[in-house]
Amino acid sequence: MIPSDHFVRFYNEIFKFLENKGHEHLEDYFLTISRHQETHCLKQFSEGGLQGMYDYWMVIKKEENCDSDKFIEDGQYGKVLKGFMSGCPSLSKVKDNDAGACPLYCCHCPGWVLPIMSKVGYYYVYDLISLDMPRCQTTICEHIEDARAQLRLVLKRHNGDRTLVKWNFPEED
Amino acid sequence: MIPSDHFVKFYAEVFKYLQKQGQAAIDEYYTTIAEHQKTHCLDLFTSKGLAGMKEYWDKIIFEENCDADAILDEGKSYTFIMHHCPSLAKVLDNDAGVCDIYCDHCPGWVLPVMTAAGFYTVCDSVGADIPRCVEKTFAKLEDAQKYLEVVKKRHPDHPELIKCNF
Amino acid sequence: MKPEEMRYCSTGEVHLDFHGSTYVGLKYLFDHFGMEAVDEVLDSTAKKVYKSIYERLQRGDSSELICHWRYYLEREKCDFTLTENPDGTAVLELRECPALRQLAKEKIDDRPLICHSTEKMNSCWCEGSPFEIVIEPLENGCRQTLRRK
Repeated sequence: MIPSDHFVRFYNEIFKFLENKGHEHLEDYFLTISRHQETHCLKQFSEGGLQGMYDYWMVIKKEENCDSDKFIEDGQYGKVLKGFMSGCPSLSKVKDNDAGACPLYCCHCPGWVLPIMSKVGYYYVYDLISLDMPRCQTTICEHIEDARAQLRLVLKRHNGDRTLVKWNFPEED
Repeated sequence: MIPSDHFVKFYAEVFKYLQKQGQAAIDEYYTTIAEHQKTHCLDLFTSKGLAGMKEYWDKIIFEENCDADAILDEGKSYTFIMHHCPSLAKVLDNDAGVCDIYCDHCPGWVLPVMTAAGFYTVCDSVGADIPRCVEKTFAKLEDAQKYLEVVKKRHPDHPELIKCNF
Repeated sequence: MKPEEMRYCSTGEVHLDFHGSTYVGLKYLFDHFGMEAVDEVLDSTAKKVYKSIYERLQRGDSSELICHWRYYLEREKCDFTLTENPDGTAVLELRECPALRQLAKEKIDDRPLICHSTEKMNSCWCEGSPFEIVIEPLENGCRQTLRRK
């Protein structure tokens, strides 16, 4: 049995294997994870909205020992849930690993979260900051225009480099 | 005249010069900046506490075009999360090159002001060449001490990225 | 060996949902690439991720594997007995496997694939070492005997 505590290092080996087979396999796996994660959170997200998401990730924060903060605030058009991951336990473990980290490790997170957000009708912007740094910043919006404004801001942070920015909505109508 | 917009590029050159003079020169400059900054914000921090800090930095966020979030937990803490620091970003976009201690000037002046106002602050620089940081100020020393231990875990190999005033 | 001497000594809370995520990973590899892929990834997990356990076993030292078993099964609040012998052999009686327990909660019923991952990891660890691990299934877990070849 692989202990729960070490799952992410096994996960990381799967990512390496799939990326080696072709990036499309990795993307397909992210969708499989997303479908599995629906069993854990789809109902809570669709019924509870931003508060349901906040509550879900507060449990994850405790169980996974995350160094993170979240809060809900008013955007220009609707409510916004902001998340700040300052010490991601998942990437931290993967980096503290004799087998070495998969360079795309962080991508699994938007890879499973964004499809679920689209299903529940929320607009999500990921700022991955850096793929070898266990930090990221996330914004979930009720209204697409708040998300578009956030996307513009995050793209500016990265001087237009889109590799570290992920979102689930069209940039323009 | 050096335009206000370009002040930080000049600031970086000052730091480079002082670096050559030694740490004592840098520290003395930080003290000088802190004394100057006290004229802008110490009264506000002393009279209104954490809410005064939010008031001061909300204005800075606007005037300096910062991409930042500020969280006030009234009576407990004030957190400033900088996602894209306009100051370091300008210094990085600079034909003279960046000064590797550039970010240090921020805790260099903030921490003495916080000490004077009776608060406890931890500054967490994400990286010396990354325009992001988190500054968190507490009313109680024990809360700040607990938070410092969390921040230390973020930088197991780079303690120089963490500064505090206690 | 003391837990803090292991290469990986996790502390804090435990997120048991990861057993479900482990299963999803194994199943995905099996469905898309076959058992060969499952085994390739488990091989790298055993030998590269757990390099320290693997290399110690190669040298005839089972202390980290035994410490790993005890530490992580205790963290997952498992019903087990681990009997250690002075010659480095041991018997792990796992009356309730935490992975099977968690997967049952998630209504996932595929014991062969989960147990295969344990067997494969064990065989990779022991490959080329003076040890072998024999597994006997029990109702809700298994007995793993670490013995000299």
